[in-house]
Amino acid sequence: MTKPVLIIGGGPAGLSAAHALASAGRKAVLVEKEAILGGAPILSGYAKLVPSHEWAKDAIGGMVNRVVSNPSVDVKVNSTVQAFTGTPGNFVATLKDGSTVEAETAILATGFTHFDPINKPEWGFGTYPDVVTTTMVEQMISSGKGVRCPSDGRVPDRVAILLCAGSRDRQIGREWCSKICCTVSANLAMEIREMSPKTNVYIYYMDIRTFGLYEGEYYWGSQENFKVKYVKARIAEVTSNGSRLLVKGEDTLVKRPISIPFDMVVHAVGMDPNVDNMTISAVFGVDLNRWGYIGKQTTYAHLAETSRPGVFTCGAASGPETIDDSIAQGHAAAMAAMNFAGMAVRAAAE
Amino acid sequence: MPIHEKSLIRPENLVTHDHLVIDGMDVSGHWSTFIEGRSITDYNENLQEEIAALPGGENIHRCWQCGSCTNACTVNAINPEFNPRYWIYLIRLGMEDELLRDKDIIWQCVSCNKCTYACPRDVAPEGVMKATAHWLELKGHTPKSPSTIFDEGFSAQVFQRGKIEDGLVLRNFLQDTGQPLRQPWLETMILGLIRRFPVFYLIRLGLSTVFRPKTRGWGRARAAINEYVHEVEATNRKALGLDAKGAE
Repeated sequence: MTKPVLIIGGGPAGLSAAHALASAGRKAVLVEKEAILGGAPILSGYAKLVPSHEWAKDAIGGMVNRVVSNPSVDVKVNSTVQAFTGTPGNFVATLKDGSTVEAETAILATGFTHFDPINKPEWGFGTYPDVVTTTMVEQMISSGKGVRCPSDGRVPDRVAILLCAGSRDRQIGREWCSKICCTVSANLAMEIREMSPKTNVYIYYMDIRTFGLYEGEYYWGSQENFKVKYVKARIAEVTSNGSRLLVKGEDTLVKRPISIPFDMVVHAVGMDPNVDNMTISAVFGVDLNRWGYIGKQTTYAHLAETSRPGVFTCGAASGPETIDDSIAQGHAAAMAAMNFAGMAVRAAAE
Repeated sequence: MPIHEKSLIRPENLVTHDHLVIDGMDVSGHWSTFIEGRSITDYNENLQEEIAALPGGENIHRCWQCGSCTNACTVNAINPEFNPRYWIYLIRLGMEDELLRDKDIIWQCVSCNKCTYACPRDVAPEGVMKATAHWLELKGHTPKSPSTIFDEGFSAQVFQRGKIEDGLVLRNFLQDTGQPLRQPWLETMILGLIRRFPVFYLIRLGLSTVFRPKTRGWGRARAAINEYVHEVEATNRKALGLDAKGAE
């Protein structure tokens, strides 16, 4: 009798891997540190997802339901792995409650942590209540309360979205592009314009990376159908004139400094490596890459391999990733885990 | 501190006090030269909507500032200050003061439409230039351009009679633009015509100047056209927040 595959993390990637394994007739144990499954889209209360425009609670909720109701998947919430020993095919994981799980292989689907913009203090988060994050705007929309200034609850006349908050910034040690924020911001800008047509939305950017097919629907769509304005300027600082926020920077296209009043400023926060990655690295004996994400061994031969044989990774654990690609990588990691087990069996038979 | 590189600074941003004493120190004249801030401090969100409301400006909000229009531009090749990409940006963000600085260049568009075919987003920059020139006129920032004066005189005859009489078009244009009726090139042309044209043509031309040509049964068309023109003018003025008929 074969042992189950241990999956760490119950977000889109982990849920996808669990579903793929169960569909192939294999058993999986899914360990989630939070009390509920769903990962960032559920835990952070995302609104409508790119590119389907389904509400996160419906789209990811559906993924949760089909895993929870699957008898081949043993879900353990409020749980973490404290120790991980053994060899491929015979791993033993010790959980927080002291129980042990024997596993053939493991998949790390441990995701990311939202950038905390308190680390970019010149942009005013934590100083001014009306400086918020894309995650907070997602919550304003998904809660049904609408987009309002936290200071006094007014509907903003003018909103600035600052891209690359916690991305592409050597000053704060984050050299990566977080991949999703341009598209997410364009999507939010359209939702704000739709909910409140009198609110003007300005996006301050260095480059726009609404890659692939997102170009038309999100970048072009936000301009052509919703008159969202894009300004090529990296903001220097966000201050206040007493009644409104002042956004300062250089408008590079007119080569002039700007100091424009806004009612609300939104940081398009990037994807940091999971804050637990040092622990995960130590417990599972896997290397992290130079940016602090879980390192991948090869790019082309085996998409999901970490530095430790028999331990795989998928989704945003190994770098900024979209939800749909995380789901695809979850499948890929499940396939890699099954291949790995199959090879061990064949080697033993020869 | 005296400023030696004053040419780099816009004159209106240089402030000098003829008589100024600070803490007993006489800093009159150039010793008290100050530079005003050059920050852009607000956006006029109506500007884009106003230009978009005028014929030709409808698609301005699509622009993503690639510069294809300026790169393709016939006028830009001669005058680098003529930059449609830049003006579209100023309009989109509502930097009205900056736009007005270039009010005497914007109307120089020759409508070659090379930008129209270069634009990847179908902004139709030539239309935007037309709408912007129109906006400048309606708002009273620029006098009517010679080509507008010509178009108006030409159209007025068509509206009135369904036909034009070339001599009258020319005469009215010269009059309305303050030019003498006797132009050497015109005299040469007329003499040439008299010498070369068959007599029959010359008689028709002569009769036309007295009995102006008219399209038969034009009355209803004239009424309809005048009504339409009036309606469009009223809509344009309203979009710009102007009185039904005022500045003219």
